[in-house]
Formats: sequence, C-alpha cells, structure tokens
Amino acid sequence: MRAGPSQDEIRRQNLGALLRYVHMHGATSRAELTTALGLNRSTIGALTTDLAAAGLVSEGAPKETGRAGRPSLVVRPESARVHAYAYSIEVDRLRVARIGLGGGVLDRRELARPRGITAADAAPLLARAAREMQQPVSADAICVGAGVAVCGLVRRDDGLVRLGPTMGWVDEPIGAAIGAELGPDVPVVVGNVADVAAFAEHTRGAATGCDNLIYLYGDVGVGAGIITGGRRLTGHGGYGGEVGHMVVRRDGTRCECGSRGCWETEIGEHALLRAAGRSDAQGRDAVLAVFEAADRGDARAQTAVRTAGDWLGFGVANLVNIFNPELVIFGGAMRDLYLAAAAQVRSRLNASALPACVEHVRLRTPKLGDDAALIGAAELAFDRLLADPLDVS
Amino acid sequence: MSATPLLELRGIDKSFGPVQVLRDVAFSAFPGQVTALVGDNGAGKSTLVKCISGIYPTDAGEFLFNGRPVSIHNPRDAAALGIEVVYQDLALCDNLDIVQNMFLGREKRHGLVLDEPTMEQMAADTLAGLSVRTVKSLRQQVSSLSGGQRQTVAIAKAVLWNSKVVILDEPTAALGVAQTAQVLELVRRLADNGLAVVLISHNMNDVFAVSDRIAALYLGQMVAEVKTTDITHAQIVELITAGRSGALGLSSGNGSNDTGGEPAAAPGAAR
Repeated sequence: MRAGPSQDEIRRQNLGALLRYVHMHGATSRAELTTALGLNRSTIGALTTDLAAAGLVSEGAPKETGRAGRPSLVVRPESARVHAYAYSIEVDRLRVARIGLGGGVLDRRELARPRGITAADAAPLLARAAREMQQPVSADAICVGAGVAVCGLVRRDDGLVRLGPTMGWVDEPIGAAIGAELGPDVPVVVGNVADVAAFAEHTRGAATGCDNLIYLYGDVGVGAGIITGGRRLTGHGGYGGEVGHMVVRRDGTRCECGSRGCWETEIGEHALLRAAGRSDAQGRDAVLAVFEAADRGDARAQTAVRTAGDWLGFGVANLVNIFNPELVIFGGAMRDLYLAAAAQVRSRLNASALPACVEHVRLRTPKLGDDAALIGAAELAFDRLLADPLDVS
Repeated sequence: MSATPLLELRGIDKSFGPVQVLRDVAFSAFPGQVTALVGDNGAGKSTLVKCISGIYPTDAGEFLFNGRPVSIHNPRDAAALGIEVVYQDLALCDNLDIVQNMFLGREKRHGLVLDEPTMEQMAADTLAGLSVRTVKSLRQQVSSLSGGQRQTVAIAKAVLWNSKVVILDEPTAALGVAQTAQVLELVRRLADNGLAVVLISHNMNDVFAVSDRIAALYLGQMVAEVKTTDITHAQIVELITAGRSGALGLSSGNGSNDTGGEPAAAPGAAR
C-alpha cells in the first residue's frame, strides 16, 4: 500500500503545472491561473513567488483592462533569460536555435549539411553555431538543456542514432557528441524529427487540444510522430512511428533501409523524381520543380504527382484504420505533396479506409511550418524543467 | 462542426430575361467549415455568389442567417450581416499601401483626422491572427507585392470587419505552386478560426485540399451537397459534367432538362 503524496510532492507538482501553463499560454493573470489550475489564490501567490525567486517567471501589472476593480497581477515566463538549445539535423542542412521559455525563437543559425558527414563531425559544427549565438546572452541566463531532432531511429535511453538511412548514419552517438561539446551541466535529449514535430504541433501548433493525431514528416524518407490519447507513441526502444518503412509492395523498389517496397519508395523524393524522369536531380527545389511542371501541364510530371498522391492516400488510409486519429498533419516534403495532389490523396483515403475511421479525420498542414522540429526539440529540453522546476534551475 | 448552418439558402430562382440561371437552389455554409462550390463554366456559381452578396436580386427563395430569415437587397445588407466576398480580380489599389487598402472607404477616424495608429494595429493584428509571415511591412505599396501576397491582403481585408462568412472566388487561379499552397493554408486557417468559408474553384486539388463539404452546381441546379470524406475525385467530376454520379445528383427521371447534347466529358473540368 502506498501512502498519499507528501506535501513536497504536491508542491512540486503544482509548481510544474503553473510553469507549464505560462509556458504554453504566455503571460497570464493570477486570477486566470486560479481558475485554470483549480488552486486557491494564496497558493497561486506562493507558487509564483517561489518561481520568481528561482528566476523562471516575473510578475507585473497588466496593461489597461478597462474594467473596474484592482487588476490581478500578470505572471510572465522569463523568456529572454530561461532558454534551451534546439538542434535539427536534416538531410541537407543543420539548424540551431535558442528558444526561450514560452516557445519563442530567440536566435537561430542555419548551415548547409555536407552529405555523408558523421555525428563526430557534425557536433563541432553545431556547437560552433551555438556558441556564435551564445555571446549576447546575459550572465544570469539559465540554460535548461538541449534538444536534438534528427531524421533516423533514435535510441531513447542515450540518444544514439541507430539508423538514419537517408543520411547514411549507422550507430552514430549524436547525443553523446553534442553533450561533450556543451559540457556536463547541460543535459541533451535526442528525438526523431517526426516525433518532436508532432510534439510541437500538439503543444502549440495545429493540434492543440487534439489528443489523437499523426504527423507525417517527409524529406527523402518518411516518418510519423504519433500521439494517441494525448501520449506520444514511441514504442519499446523509442523507434516507433517508422511508417515510411511499411511494406506496401512485395516486389517493390529496393529501399535504403535494405528492404523492398517500403512506402517511402513510392512517395519519397526519389520516387517522385524518378517517375518524372529527373533521377539525376535531388533536394526540395527539384521536387518543387516537378510540382511546377505538373501545374503548367507537363503530362509526365502530372502523372508522377498523381501517382505519388495516390500512394500517399493509400498509406494514410492504413494509418487511419489502425490509429483512428482526428488529425493527420502533412509536414516537410509531405506538405508540398499533399497540397499538390490532395484530390488523389483524399479520394484514395475515402475509398480505402473504413468509413467509421475516416468520417471525422481532418487533413491539415503544419501551423509551425519548418520550425516545428526546432520548437519540438526545445520542448524535449523544457520537459525536464516543467516536471520539477526548482530542482533544475 | 455545428448543426445549424450560419448561412442557408432555400429555393433560390434567378432568371436573366428568358434564361433561367438558378433553379430552386439550396445551399448552406457552416461555421468552422470550408464549403467548396464547384460546377462547370456557366453552371451558375458566380450568379449564386452575387445573389448572396446582394448584387443581384433573386426572383424567389429565402435566405436564413443563423437560423433567422433575412433579406439581402444590396451589398451593404450583406456586409452588415458579416458576409464578405473576395473576387478574382481582388479589387486592390496598386498605388496605396496595405493598411490603406484594407481600410479603403471604411477608414477609422480620430476627430477630423485619420486614426493611422489604430488602423495599422488592427491590420497587424488581423495578419498575425492569420499567421501571415510573408508580408514584411504594412506600409508597403500593393504594387510591390507578389500575386500570393496580394491574395493574402485581399483575404485579410475581408476578415478585418468581424466578418462571419467569407466567399472566395477562385483564390488560386493565377498563382504558382508555392503561393497556391500558402493561400490554401490561409483559407483553411480562416475556417479553423471559426468563420464559414465558401470556396469557388475549378481546381479539384484545391477543393479536396481544404474543403469539408462540396456543393456541386449543374446547369443552375444544385445536384449534390456532400461531405468531402464521402466522395472521390471521379464522382465530383461526374457530378460537374453530367449532373449525376451513381446515387448522387439528378435522378434519371429528371433528365428531361439536359437535352443540350452530350453530358459526357468536359475536359477542362477534370483538372
């Protein structure tokens, strides 16, 4: 038998809840917090004082409300001071951002990623970009950690990238490499790009208030971040959501993962460019050029786009049947493909999926755009702070 | 997904002299949803929109707004109800900046002078509410904007006035792929912010990308109003070109109207 939670646990829980609320909703008056968190006024006052003493929030008078009575003090997250580093390692570029409590991007750097670069080589590049940003940070700044979004299978325990087929990575210890650059007092969390983007859209994007969603992220490969019942579905080792490797054709094209007929061999960048007769090109611009050509009436490009759209709908129908989401978000290259071939995607989805599963599903593009990976990576880092605010800061 | 339509039309008839353009048309638009209005050239889409916005008087039929019967005699009545239309040609003035365009003819005043700070703030808030990040300065002349940005400004102008129904006539017709994508996302966001959106388009891709319901007109008759989750591209093309598709659309006994030749393929509509 377990005893009830101790005073200390309750207080820690409440501090986390309050900080999470202002992190997600921005500046909030004490009166609103009282209602939203269901705590009494003096408790909110005490919690706010503790958080302010730790330098995580500040309190101030609100702007003119125009209403009668003494205005309630407004609690603001210390966005400029409390921050996390967010890294995004993509096929063609590396991005670094400093993101403040509250989710705002304070500063960012972007560099091209030489194809074929290893984790050991990438980490110093990222660290240098991060240091460039670090200079203007004031002395009392609090860095809560770093989050990394990477296209590949990430082992949850230590941030080892088991396999990043599109980048040619096998067992690359990116978490450890970045940790070594940042020093021992900055914890590093690594996540799959689709997972963290789903997390970001769920926290503060197109999927706020929606607890069953699938975020499909595409570049050269395709992956999904899946949230069911409000929880991120990561699987046993953290490798869940690799929907790009659902086998959709027994004798299909060979995939970079070693298998044959994976879904991404029908909807990924290579498939589209090959079908359009442009196998020698690569990158997002080349894909957009195919959509442009299709729009202008190039018959071969049109067929390529429609076929890829049909396959996209085919896979989404399977996912919708399995997970019954309310929302499917198309991110990265999948956004462009969805918008260019929505008629095929929708038609195939409606024709193939179970009517009960498909009747309430909404198809959307991301609200946060390409920033979702960075914002989501930062959310990973903030998660530890929000779980136990006073211990971390 | 609310059950009562914000805008509902019943039994609308409209003739121009001997030509009957709309025949007993029913149409509804729901808050938070994009309703796509599709049909071949001459099916009556633009006429229907002009009836809704008060430009043409109707011969018969009733309008319900939020469940209450209303009468719309001129564009001002429609604007008073919160119905705004963005036409294909956008009607923006090239020589004015974004704020001036958004408030053209409805400027905010502060005593005798124009209240520029308030107008600029309202314009900025509206664009921010639509998550528009492509426009750099609000004091930029419209002549310096791209096609997609112009469309964005025209849509923002329609949203500014606390409008409840926004009707968009072919908003992506003249745009490239990247700009079409941005405008489609904007259209979707309008509905997700709670507006009732009516999208007129010939492009089936745009229709399927953002709509929740599809209403198909065929030779002045509303042949189907269906949910986008219940229909395929091929069925919509059949409804547009032949007025029926399987159990949907005109019943076969009603085919006496279409004596006007082959109802088979109309190549332009299939895109």
